[in-house]
Amino acid sequence: MDSKNLLEVKNLKKYFQTPRGLLHAVDNVTFNIEKGKTIGIVGESGCGKSTLGKTLMRLHQPTAGEVMFKDADIANIPLKEFKKKYRANIQMIFQDPYASLDPRMSILQLIEEPIKVNNKSLSKAQVTEKAREMMELVGLAKRLEGAYPHELDGGRRQRIGIARALSLNPEFIVCDEPVSALDVSIQAQVLNLLQDLQEQRGLTYMFITHDMSVVKHISDDIAVMYLGQMIEKCSADRIFRDTIHPYSQALLSAIPIPNVHVKHERMVLKGELTSPIDPKPCCRFAARCPYATDKCLAEEPKLREILPNHQVACHFAEKFVK
Amino acid sequence: MSDTLLSVKDLVIHYETEDEVVEAVNKISFDIKKGEVLGLVGETGAGKTTTALGILGLLPAKVGHVIQGSIELEGKDLLKLSEKEMRQIRGKKISMIFQDPMTALNPVKTVGDQIAEVVLLHNQCSKAEALKRAQEMLAMVGIVPERYKDYPHQFSGGMKQRIVIAIALACEPELLIADEPTTALDVTIQAQILDMMRKLQKEQGTSVILITHDLGVVAEMCDNCAVMYGGELVEYGTLEQVFDNPKHPYTRALYKSIPSLDKDVERLEVIPGLVPDPSDLPEYCSFFERCSEKCDKCNKYDPVSTEVEPGHYAKCLQYMKEWEG
Repeated sequence: MDSKNLLEVKNLKKYFQTPRGLLHAVDNVTFNIEKGKTIGIVGESGCGKSTLGKTLMRLHQPTAGEVMFKDADIANIPLKEFKKKYRANIQMIFQDPYASLDPRMSILQLIEEPIKVNNKSLSKAQVTEKAREMMELVGLAKRLEGAYPHELDGGRRQRIGIARALSLNPEFIVCDEPVSALDVSIQAQVLNLLQDLQEQRGLTYMFITHDMSVVKHISDDIAVMYLGQMIEKCSADRIFRDTIHPYSQALLSAIPIPNVHVKHERMVLKGELTSPIDPKPCCRFAARCPYATDKCLAEEPKLREILPNHQVACHFAEKFVK
Repeated sequence: MSDTLLSVKDLVIHYETEDEVVEAVNKISFDIKKGEVLGLVGETGAGKTTTALGILGLLPAKVGHVIQGSIELEGKDLLKLSEKEMRQIRGKKISMIFQDPMTALNPVKTVGDQIAEVVLLHNQCSKAEALKRAQEMLAMVGIVPERYKDYPHQFSGGMKQRIVIAIALACEPELLIADEPTTALDVTIQAQILDMMRKLQKEQGTSVILITHDLGVVAEMCDNCAVMYGGELVEYGTLEQVFDNPKHPYTRALYKSIPSLDKDVERLEVIPGLVPDPSDLPEYCSFFERCSEKCDKCNKYDPVSTEVEPGHYAKCLQYMKEWEG
């Protein structure tokens, strides 16, 4: 395992059995995450980005593939061992701060809970002390200790989620749409907090979102997913102007820009996502792709390096390099 | 004046419950011309949706009250109409697209019947004619007309929103209020819906109030832009005025707090603090606590909306000459 990588994901698959067939939620995804960096995962709903995050966390059990973390294959060790040895190290911040907190627990109790569960040796006073420390770290005032989630706004609730995730001193945090339920003025506060914490603690993030401007702001690398597959991966500064895959280009051109003078060419995609159930062995984007040829319908493109640190899964990727 | 379609003046809406009064909309005034698209921007709790419900007379019974003001549609004050008269206007002259297409449709009626329902209510025609109109509408929003016999669950989210739009436009309303029409949708689907709305708006000459928190959507769709904060209209102007030369400190701060796709910023600028509690608004400027441009007079007076350049209004003390010095 390369020493600069914290996580190496190889051919990870997660299939779900459904009445209509096998749903390929995450299909053969391979990528590395460097220590102390942020990888952004973008894509539309149903592309498998949340499933990917949950599979890394072993909240879903992987169908196949491996995930190397600290020289252990955390995808294939028994779940019990994973929970004991690695769960505290890999944490998650959930999307909806309204739904992910127990409404009957106070803020302090909510933050104490993961500390208590994972450090059985700590005394009650030590747990409380640690929880208070976490509250301060994420910027929750001490007077809010006894408050309940319903008394707080979305931004503060999300801070509780962040405090809970951080309380176990993880190295790796999966952030699943942590700001999409928040108002823009609050969103900036939470994004800055996440960046500060990363600097202070050397955290590594996997940042899952459908908001392209947020992901560009916070990430070092960005991976675009489409129907369970990773179709493009490059550094964040290349993502806007130099995207190669036709889907990434369409996705980016679809974003409305808050500027009256920038009028970009819009590539409006026809149709909607095709079904991820028992997909045919062809390019999954071919049905909506304006450039699709017979080759695209006959053969599945592999993710390959087109330019240094820029991988694309498209048969004609070279043609789209700007 | 003849080209003004809707004129809202000094509108105040309160929600009154047993323990508190929520001042949701505070003295807002604006006009919409025929064929104009107005963007109403603001964060949660700014009063955008309440304004829309107020115009349609759909405020929750008993709790929601219009305290003062007038809403004139082509010179007729909607607030003075009876419920029966209002029903003639809703769906016919003014219609609304709701945020969530998943809950706006009736799950046990076919989409054709749901579109035909509005047509039957407002036009004297037979069921067969209404259904024919329903199919035309489906075709117009880009859905195969033969699918009029399908139920909402057989459509995807983007298509459901198209159906909601078809219902709203079936009677060719003069004013369409679209409340976050694309917030629940993916960006590629959002692009399809916005493209379609723009096309239909041009063809039918409908006036639109587009409620959204997404400044990008406003930049693409609107002619004029109104920014709401704490139930007040803090800035109003043409798209160029508000986007290129924002005058109110809140609007300026809002632009800086969104990450941008075409610029690189190391750190986002944050608007400190929280959106004010509408049940406990201050007597003075409601943005005072969070404002970076405030002066010592700002917590003493409530500014009034001032014209800073022709057609461009901002509600901030720094533009009120008489307070200077």
